[in-house]
Amino acid sequence: MKKLFCLILSVLLFSCNSKEKKTVKNTPVKVEEKEIMTELYGSWVGDFIVQERDTTRPEKERYSNKINIIIKKITDSEVIGQSVVAGNNRPLAGTMTVNGSTAHFILKEPGDDKNDGVFDFEIKNDTLLVGTWTANNAKKEVTKRKFELAKKEFQYDPNVMLPNDYDYIDYENPKEEQITQSEEEIEEGTEAETYVENLYRIASESIVTINSSTKKLKESDIKNLKKIDLEILRNTIFARHGFSFKTKTVRQFFDSVEWYIPVSTNVDDQLTAVEKENIILLKRFEKYAEDNYDSFGR
Amino acid sequence: MRKNLKLSLSLLWTICFVYFFILMLQLTWQYIPLQNDVAFLQIKQTEVNEIPLYILFFYIHVYTAIFVLLTGFFQFSAYILRKYPFIHRSTGKFYVVTILFLSAPSGLFIGLFANGGFYSKISFVTLSVLWFYFTLKGFLFIKDKNIVQHKAFILRSFALTFSAITLRFWKVILVYLFQPSPMDLYQIIAWLGWIPNLLIVEYYLYNQSKK
Repeated sequence: MKKLFCLILSVLLFSCNSKEKKTVKNTPVKVEEKEIMTELYGSWVGDFIVQERDTTRPEKERYSNKINIIIKKITDSEVIGQSVVAGNNRPLAGTMTVNGSTAHFILKEPGDDKNDGVFDFEIKNDTLLVGTWTANNAKKEVTKRKFELAKKEFQYDPNVMLPNDYDYIDYENPKEEQITQSEEEIEEGTEAETYVENLYRIASESIVTINSSTKKLKESDIKNLKKIDLEILRNTIFARHGFSFKTKTVRQFFDSVEWYIPVSTNVDDQLTAVEKENIILLKRFEKYAEDNYDSFGR
Repeated sequence: MRKNLKLSLSLLWTICFVYFFILMLQLTWQYIPLQNDVAFLQIKQTEVNEIPLYILFFYIHVYTAIFVLLTGFFQFSAYILRKYPFIHRSTGKFYVVTILFLSAPSGLFIGLFANGGFYSKISFVTLSVLWFYFTLKGFLFIKDKNIVQHKAFILRSFALTFSAITLRFWKVILVYLFQPSPMDLYQIIAWLGWIPNLLIVEYYLYNQSKK
């Protein structure tokens, strides 16, 4: 009996012991690698421009999108980052090599998305990030884009407004109109020609005067606005929070704006109370405009 | 020949009316069941929330409009008047009573809060006052057996009733041609909806009176 007890005890002890050994073996102490060149950390922002495009098919992707490449961590063996462009928020991982005053990076998107690819760029003198992006899928419409990015830090500022320097025209949604030549235009001996002309929506002055983030909007403030104005006012709220827009219609208005930096594809929990209420109001008016503006009714 | 022209004109008018009446039915249908935030009310939430009786008067106006249009239309049938005068009288009474007690007062009330500011407000308020006056006059004249004046005033009344359709018709035309901002548009259609109707009727009555 005593022997048996000893045996059991020794087995138990042995098994305990072996378990301990195993756990020690399975989790080797991870030595934190020293982070280097932390001055490069942060957002690098600029235009993401088409370099190679399959011109045999209809043009769907925009020539230029605003991109934000965020560098989060650099060590001797790895670089961690993130790319935010056109409503696409992707983690980046890769490596860096230094050559004089130039740091050369190769960063890959995970590869499980059809739009993923590889970034290859250099940072010269800590100020300008220059390089290209190549799609993993060689059959994509746009397989290569180039970029020159400057370092910019995103900060939410409810007071920024769309610049008043140019007209805001919706080039992405033209309305085709058949136009037949009038009597005077017709030359003798020829028949009247019909041709198609594109009509574009144009936004009103209101989008550079009404601040949809700081002012609690009333119905009377926005009653005289057309759908395009309402859409832009609502999306300006999201732009101020650094939302990266998926739709081309919206991107065309914000990509060229100096203060706009895409940082995220979900900003819902950052919206202020005023902004949330304005979004609801603007959406309601957009729906009304959509359903009623050009139809029989009020 | 003249009879043919008259017949085809009234046929054309009937087809037009039926077409637009169906559109009006579809518009009314949006408001069933009664809700506080559908269709036009989507941009009227300030009034809905701040003016206690707004929603009540709005719905009185919306729900009676369709019946006023329909009964009004049949008052002009010479056939009904000749063959079934009691139908002319009973639907006529319905038309008059509904306008005087429901449609015109509710129209006046919601007109005070009309879209498009001061200029559309005067238009809608004037419209509802004239509508009430013409309808009342038309009724009082038939009580006096004055058929000529009865006909004239009910015709004026219906010209204003029909502005429910012409206002929306002009809106479609103006948007197609000029794409104005919604409230600029509203200020125009507020007047364009009923003034031309009334002018046409006055012109017709003037010509009749000369005969």
